Amino acid sequence: MAVEIPQEDAKLIARLQDESTCRAAFAEVIKLYSEPLYWQIRRLVVSHDDANDLLQNTFMKAWMYIENFRGEAKLSTWLYKIALNESITFLEKERKRQNISLDDQESAIINSIAADEFVDGDEVALKLRQAIATLPEKQRIVFNMKYYDEMKYEQMSDILGTSVGALKASYHLAVKKIEQFFENND
Amino acid sequence: MSKDKDILGKVNRREGMTVPEGYFDDFTAKMISSLPEKQKVPEISERQRLWFRVRPYAYMAAMFAGIFCMMKMFDMMRSPSADLNIDNYPAVTAAIDNGVLDNDIINSVDDNEIIESLYETGLSPEEIYTYEDSIDMCDSIIQ
Repeated sequence: MAVEIPQEDAKLIARLQDESTCRAAFAEVIKLYSEPLYWQIRRLVVSHDDANDLLQNTFMKAWMYIENFRGEAKLSTWLYKIALNESITFLEKERKRQNISLDDQESAIINSIAADEFVDGDEVALKLRQAIATLPEKQRIVFNMKYYDEMKYEQMSDILGTSVGALKASYHLAVKKIEQFFENND
Repeated sequence: MSKDKDILGKVNRREGMTVPEGYFDDFTAKMISSLPEKQKVPEISERQRLWFRVRPYAYMAAMFAGIFCMMKMFDMMRSPSADLNIDNYPAVTAAIDNGVLDNDIINSVDDNEIIESLYETGLSPEEIYTYEDSIDMCDSIIQ
């Protein structure tokens, strides 16, 4: 399925491909996407410091491989993909380093939510973060993209390589589990 | 489902996590300054570009040509054809085995005897002379 590239994206991509303008164009990319990418990473890894490191890695990789980006997909989709891969790889490495299972990692994330100095909000917000942390990784990613980033299923499908139907099902299941979490922790 | 909406509706999408003050501005400036210089890729002319494209095919053609030459060379170096082998001619082998072509027999034939017998059969001296010449010529070739 051909992806329609926005006019602004096309201009930016053309400047990124040009050696004389690529650095200035990439600075614009950082300004535009650092915040949405940061939140996408942060919601997965929770800790601000880890999110900061992963965001830097994401942009560094994008800078290194920008010549390979031919504009077949939206620039944002390509960057989200890099950020997501970086985050998942980081979580896997952490699991191996600490020698813990997926379930244990969920508990560790829940604990770190309460411990992180850059986590605030009222009790409901905190509980929602903890409920999200109990979701399986794929459902957590889908829920974050849909609920927080308000992303369309089509773009999510491009990033995750999953059908729209499967994504809708994942989101529905995630919401059900969050509801269950609130019922059980009332 | 209305309960889900209630829960999610109570929470602001941006609520729950914060960042240090001015984080995004600082991050952008730091990130831009830390980007390494792009390594300049040497310019490639159209001719070089064409060569890079055809290079694998050229190498493959050269390889096949080499294999063909090698096979041809081995073929030429091989022992003479089996058709020329004396074993394929049983009559000649039998003649040798029976001593028909023995050198002693051939050497024992006297040229004069032949000439005399030719004269007796009615050949003219000129014709015999021509014969003698051809015999001499053959001898010189053999020697």
